[in-house]
Amino acid sequence: MIRCGIVGHGFLGKRLAKHLTNYKMRGLALTVLASSRGYLHSPTGFDSDGLPADITAHPRFKASSPIEVIERGLVDLLVVLTPTNVYSGEPGLTYIREALKSGIDVVTADKGPLVVAFRELTSLAGSMGVFLCYEATVGGGIPVFSLARHSLRGDRILSIRGILNGTTNYILSRMHFEGLPLDLALQEAQMMGLAERDPSLDLEGIDSACKVVILANALLGADRRLEDVKVKGITQVTSDAILAAKELGMTIKLVGSIEGGRLSVAPRLVRLNHPLCVHGSLNAIQFKMEILGDLTLIGRGAGESTVSALLSDIEWILAQKEASREGR
Amino acid sequence: MRIRLTLGLPDRPGTLLKALEKIAMNGGNIISIVHNREQLTGGYVPVSLSVEFPSREHFERARAGIEESGIPVLGTESLERRIETVIIIGSLSVDRLEKVFEGRGEIISLAFGGGSRSPHMRVMFSVSSEDRETVLEALEELAEKNNCVLVREEA
Repeated sequence: MIRCGIVGHGFLGKRLAKHLTNYKMRGLALTVLASSRGYLHSPTGFDSDGLPADITAHPRFKASSPIEVIERGLVDLLVVLTPTNVYSGEPGLTYIREALKSGIDVVTADKGPLVVAFRELTSLAGSMGVFLCYEATVGGGIPVFSLARHSLRGDRILSIRGILNGTTNYILSRMHFEGLPLDLALQEAQMMGLAERDPSLDLEGIDSACKVVILANALLGADRRLEDVKVKGITQVTSDAILAAKELGMTIKLVGSIEGGRLSVAPRLVRLNHPLCVHGSLNAIQFKMEILGDLTLIGRGAGESTVSALLSDIEWILAQKEASREGR
Repeated sequence: MRIRLTLGLPDRPGTLLKALEKIAMNGGNIISIVHNREQLTGGYVPVSLSVEFPSREHFERARAGIEESGIPVLGTESLERRIETVIIIGSLSVDRLEKVFEGRGEIISLAFGGGSRSPHMRVMFSVSSEDRETVLEALEELAEKNNCVLVREEA
């Protein structure tokens, strides 16, 4: 039985936990639920009706660092879903680093650690012979990395671009369709839970830039950091400017791109019939391939859909373990 | 790509044929030839050719071939024009904007919007394919210097 732990007991952590309680038959038990304040350990694995709404209120909650889960060897697979700091990578970076060092497979939706230390972490995973999977870090549930690595591996990626942030795309869509000013569209997004209380990372293009860095490093063999991305957000975009674009059959979208070694995030004019012109909180990612040409993926880039990406990574690790057990 | 080539043709029979051979060998399709016989200077006749080449590499090979055969290439110019549209959000003087296009493009139309509170301008311009990126970069730089945002089109 593979013992799995989740660090981060927010929206994603709770949704994922619910799914993972059904995995016992598949040889995986959810044995640890942790947050930055401590953890709850169930050696036999949690059942769906035994999942606490608040782990800290549980009588067996141990106030400690989640690092203790790693040090005590309580899990074989750790899912890291802590709130991200894109400049320091913490606290996720320490959890991931320590887990990998201890021979624990890691699945994460946390962008910060990968933006700050992509090469270090992937090399560490490689040298320890463990998996580090991060499908959920870019495009929510859209299978970006698995598609590129498996289905596109006979071809060559020439460039990547996309609408990588659902919050700004929602705001720009409301400005386009309803003529709302940016501040009102932002308030609406916050009310709907699409934007953080401090939306600056989204609005200033930093969240998109993080995804550009991860895409470049993971799929184009680059070794880039946040400071290598030329970033311009949407804070200065006005609804009048969008109206001017609309008159030309276009709109303004925040586009992240990796082309010819240049990484950028900027508001762009996009034709309304362009494959990247998706609306609302949707994300779109377009690969330019040497043989295939353009390939565009569209999907929900945040929320519940991200659980799909996390489960895909976990399933993949289970399949690899099974294959190695069977000597394949 | 469509190129205008100006050759300094020695005023001897058969030299034009040599140049045309090099163009044909490199897949060039000649659209027009203008022989400026009245501008003959120092034994050379300027000849302007408009040629469609399959790629820049084909053009460069043809150019090298022509020069190797002793015919000087006096000038080349891309005849491919692109129409581009950008929106500049913020306040920017038209004089500064026009300077960006000097010698490398032309403003076709300018439209202003947003009033004085949130001004923007929509600029439509023509530019050669070769100068496109340089002009866009210069516009971006100008926008940044003036605390404006340049929104260019995603191809």
